[in-house]
Amino acid sequence: MNLANAIFYYMAAASIASALLAVTRKNPVHSMLWVLALFLHVAGVFLLLRAEFLAAVQVIVYAGAILIFYLFIVMLLDLSGEHARPRFGKQWPLAAAVGVIFIVLMMVSQVESGRQSEDTAVVQSEATQHGSVAWVGQQLFGPFALPFEIVSLVLLAAIIGAVVLARRRAVTT
Amino acid sequence: MTIPLNVVLGLSAVLFSIGVFGFLARRNIILMLISIEIMLTAVNISLAGFSHYSGDARGQVLALFVIAIAAAEAGIGLGLLIALTRNKPGANVSDLTDLKG
Repeated sequence: MNLANAIFYYMAAASIASALLAVTRKNPVHSMLWVLALFLHVAGVFLLLRAEFLAAVQVIVYAGAILIFYLFIVMLLDLSGEHARPRFGKQWPLAAAVGVIFIVLMMVSQVESGRQSEDTAVVQSEATQHGSVAWVGQQLFGPFALPFEIVSLVLLAAIIGAVVLARRRAVTT
Repeated sequence: MTIPLNVVLGLSAVLFSIGVFGFLARRNIILMLISIEIMLTAVNISLAGFSHYSGDARGQVLALFVIAIAAAEAGIGLGLLIALTRNKPGANVSDLTDLKG
């Protein structure tokens, strides 16, 4: 086992552990910090998969912006009564069963597909020739230029929607 | 790195299932939204893995779009949450039973 494989298995184990801790902690702030650990380890997985730009976006946008936004909301809302409440609903065994069944189905389907095609070798990709970031950028501003512009419209709609939703209505009785 | 694609997809499946469990089991709306983020991250691992093992950049581009949609979803979801807690403090779905017949 070489070093990259060992690092990958560490990243995978740490991601799974921090995701489990994130969904089971009682204190929402602790959950957010475990999700932060999860996102940083997933960025490491992206780096090992030679998705350098995706890893940077994961750290900057996910860990840096979205998660801090969630933390702000957790601290803004008054969740002091939350400690007295049960953290799971009554249906949690059913939810756990759904999760386990999903894992089993995915594993079975992967074993089946792996039996059909044994080769999992890495294709010698363009990324090894001129860098993954340039490669993604050429795709993003070439064939994917129209979806890229549409995503900006979606984000604009989200900004306006969030402002409209969270605005304090003027009392007009 | 000589990790087979199956292991990457397995990691993605396990993280997705943890997100499903969190979304179905937790009663706090913020934790349910963060479970959705965990699921989206799991899908991104799948996309990056496919991109790496097929030598095609389109998987990474799709993952970038997923991240953009996740940001939009977080903004809308938390805007809704703020509007909701103005009427009913506490961000717990067990309290939201107004539509129960």
